[in-house]
Amino acid sequence: MEEYFSFTAKLFDPSQVVQKPEVLKGIRVLDFSHVIFGPTATRLLANFGAEVIKLELPFHGDLWRPATYWGKYWKHSNPLWHFVTQNKYFVGLDLKKPEAKDIIYRLAKDSDVVAENFAAGTAEAWGVGYSQISKINPRVIYLSCSTYGQYGPLRFYPGWDLLAQAASGVLSLTGYPDTEKFYKLPDYLGDFIPGNFGALAILMALYFRKRTGKGQYIDLAQSEALMRLLFHFTAYNLTGMEIGRMANNDPTMVPASIFQSRDGKYLALACATGKQFAGLCNAMGRQDLVNEKVYTDPFERLKPANAEALKKIVAHWLKSLNGEEIVRLANDQGFPAAEVMDDLQICQDPWRRQRGSVILFNDEMYGGLVMAGPSAQLSKTPARTKWLARPVGYHNRLVLKKFLGISEEEIEILEKKKVIGTFDDRPGLKPPVYYNLDGDPIFNYGREGKK
Amino acid sequence: MSGKGEKEQVYARYVASGKTIEHLASWGKTLAEVMNPEGKPEVLDDVLVLDASYANFSGIIAASFFAEFGAEVIKIEPPEGDPTRKMTPFGVNVKGVGIPFMVEGRNKRYLTLDLRNSEEHRKDFARLAAQAAVVIETFAAGEMDSWGIGYRQLVQKNPGLIYIAITPYGQYTENARHFAHLPDSDITSQAGSGLPAQVGDPASSPEPYNWPLKAGMWAGWYISGLSAALGGSFALVHRQTTGEGQMVDVATMDAYSSMVGFPAIIGYTWEQARPRIGVLDFILYPYGLWKCKDGHVVIAAPRDHDFRALLKILGLWKLEDDWRNTPDRIPDVLDQAMILHKAIEEKTIQYTADELVKKALQYSAKAARSKWRGGGVPIVMKVMTPPMAMQSKQFAIRRVFQEVHDDTLGKFVINTNFVKMSESPPRVKWVTCDIGKDNEYVRKKFLQER
Repeated sequence: MEEYFSFTAKLFDPSQVVQKPEVLKGIRVLDFSHVIFGPTATRLLANFGAEVIKLELPFHGDLWRPATYWGKYWKHSNPLWHFVTQNKYFVGLDLKKPEAKDIIYRLAKDSDVVAENFAAGTAEAWGVGYSQISKINPRVIYLSCSTYGQYGPLRFYPGWDLLAQAASGVLSLTGYPDTEKFYKLPDYLGDFIPGNFGALAILMALYFRKRTGKGQYIDLAQSEALMRLLFHFTAYNLTGMEIGRMANNDPTMVPASIFQSRDGKYLALACATGKQFAGLCNAMGRQDLVNEKVYTDPFERLKPANAEALKKIVAHWLKSLNGEEIVRLANDQGFPAAEVMDDLQICQDPWRRQRGSVILFNDEMYGGLVMAGPSAQLSKTPARTKWLARPVGYHNRLVLKKFLGISEEEIEILEKKKVIGTFDDRPGLKPPVYYNLDGDPIFNYGREGKK
Repeated sequence: MSGKGEKEQVYARYVASGKTIEHLASWGKTLAEVMNPEGKPEVLDDVLVLDASYANFSGIIAASFFAEFGAEVIKIEPPEGDPTRKMTPFGVNVKGVGIPFMVEGRNKRYLTLDLRNSEEHRKDFARLAAQAAVVIETFAAGEMDSWGIGYRQLVQKNPGLIYIAITPYGQYTENARHFAHLPDSDITSQAGSGLPAQVGDPASSPEPYNWPLKAGMWAGWYISGLSAALGGSFALVHRQTTGEGQMVDVATMDAYSSMVGFPAIIGYTWEQARPRIGVLDFILYPYGLWKCKDGHVVIAAPRDHDFRALLKILGLWKLEDDWRNTPDRIPDVLDQAMILHKAIEEKTIQYTADELVKKALQYSAKAARSKWRGGGVPIVMKVMTPPMAMQSKQFAIRRVFQEVHDDTLGKFVINTNFVKMSESPPRVKWVTCDIGKDNEYVRKKFLQER
């Protein structure tokens, strides 16, 4: 039989990804969502082949478009935005205009999924909520994303990722005990994790619809999605114990902390099993510890006094080794260890490039951008990046003509009435200055020969 | 918080019209009834999942999501039990079962098979896998294959099989081979995928506060588990349409970096790694934590009109001129950003969290009804600990917590109902953990043994 890693190398060959089928081909998503939470749910669908039509207010566009790290733009775009809105169709449409409502209802009629994450009640107020869209399209799967949910006394409370982190209990857990030092989870994780839950719920609804023909309404509260990630509630309920902030220690394993090596590297090291602990003791040359009563039984080892003593031994030993040596020993002896990776290391890591979890994507408008690939690699229907973000209204003609059969003449009238429109001349909203939009066949879809 | 008969307060401009509020009052009531999971069909009740994960919670967590959506999930473990049973805060356990294992024991069946040592048990596993839709495993890459029960062997008998493998470095590439036997843990997944690098005080701060800091929850394992379940669900949709299965490969060293996507893009476009910036945010301001009279609050008022509103409710309007525009407030010069941070803190410590939340909400409610559209929405929320969140009326009405009862483990509360769905919602039906509890059931039902 073929050697395993040679078999898997072929099975997952990143160069074959574009030729493989897309699982959500033909699934249309009408996407009212903005910023990160809702757009992440629909972006994941777009990675797997769904046609996601992202609606934005002409001129202004999505609130997140200009919001880049420390105000640093890349080719007049927000580089982070490319990750959040890859593979989408960008339509600039002013919902306040009656003609726009008509276009939306026509798009909604043929859509499989509709997604929104306005403040609760706003979509209903605008006539594009589930109670209205489901009348036009009873088979629709409608995802409403919010901080606290669509019913209950807090439903109208405004919120973002940060507020969900605070309300769920998550934010109180990262930091140093017996101090006032604590920190939010970084990079709007309180949006990204719930966004992944949103995609999961939509897939379950698609699966259900195929079996029964029924669409449904999904009410996803980001605070509740975050709460699903904590065992702290049960710990408190059973023992009255608050785990609280544990600095760099994982209270469920010993040792399990971030340490510093001789060469100043930050190293995470853990022992999840007795076998791994024996491996660590071996590496430390401290086989005597394996048979010490307080360390043999994992429940005993986890008691705070024992854990602290053991942690000190490990920390002292690690100070005598370089980071690379520690990882090599961990690999030889079979216990978990990993260096803390930063932005640059993740970007340049050859393993991630080979794997396709960091890719260099070549875009027709923006050129090369190194960005994250999927969290899960699928051998037959892999996720992929097809294009990066586009300026507001870039796909107006393509979507209206191709999907709704609206003529060039009608489109020009809609433009004059400001029902549809494109971007303000601001970074984050506009194309790169070097880019010739007039010559772009997609932006000018169906307008060939007119100019 | 509005009680019975009290008028519900609205904080968004478009919602504030009389007709809409009426519609939403009845819509809210309808939803509370419609979203009750009891008696609804289960979406995955035609799906059998074998969870053969070992010493790795990301496999168990992925299996839980399938179980909550109605799949029959069989947790397979050796006779002495999976080591995950003993991973628990400070060693706290109920009859030898740790708390995380109890929490994730939702809707599971337990079968003992010694895959590592028993040829007979591997055959049983292969027979089960021939009937399964999903297999989840976390052994060293290639180990199941070497036992004759890996993806390429199982798929011979069952071309519809979805085989989910979770390891630190995945199933392919040179690193996957080299680090095949490097085990997984939550903290190494967090570290290797870049989360701790973004948390902690600036480099100039005293040790250890300037160190990278792990998330105080299992961010690595839960993200990996969620990614595996999501990848598996895409594969289930493909299988439903085509009958074809596939392999799903999750590397836990990708967990954080592939979920948020920022590290790679910033590393490329800035050609540097971001420094740690304490309680500040690298895009938005104000967007973070402040001390108040009775604890801490978070405040989000990053847009210019939100910021103006915040200054008004805190009595800080005199600062408006200096900090008016977003670019002034972007905290790229830390010392400068801290000036504003401290000015806000001087005010927040004069009030309790509840007072600050009330001030912000009152302002937003008024702005929502106002014709003047620059009102802004300054948002404040008290920083809740998990026990405080358990007391919330909101989450009680939405049934986020559920009391379960098991003969061995007794009564306890778990977190559930993470998403509300009108037709096929996830739910918890039971929680059990006894090793081998369903040996007889599984063998009778799937292995035709008497």
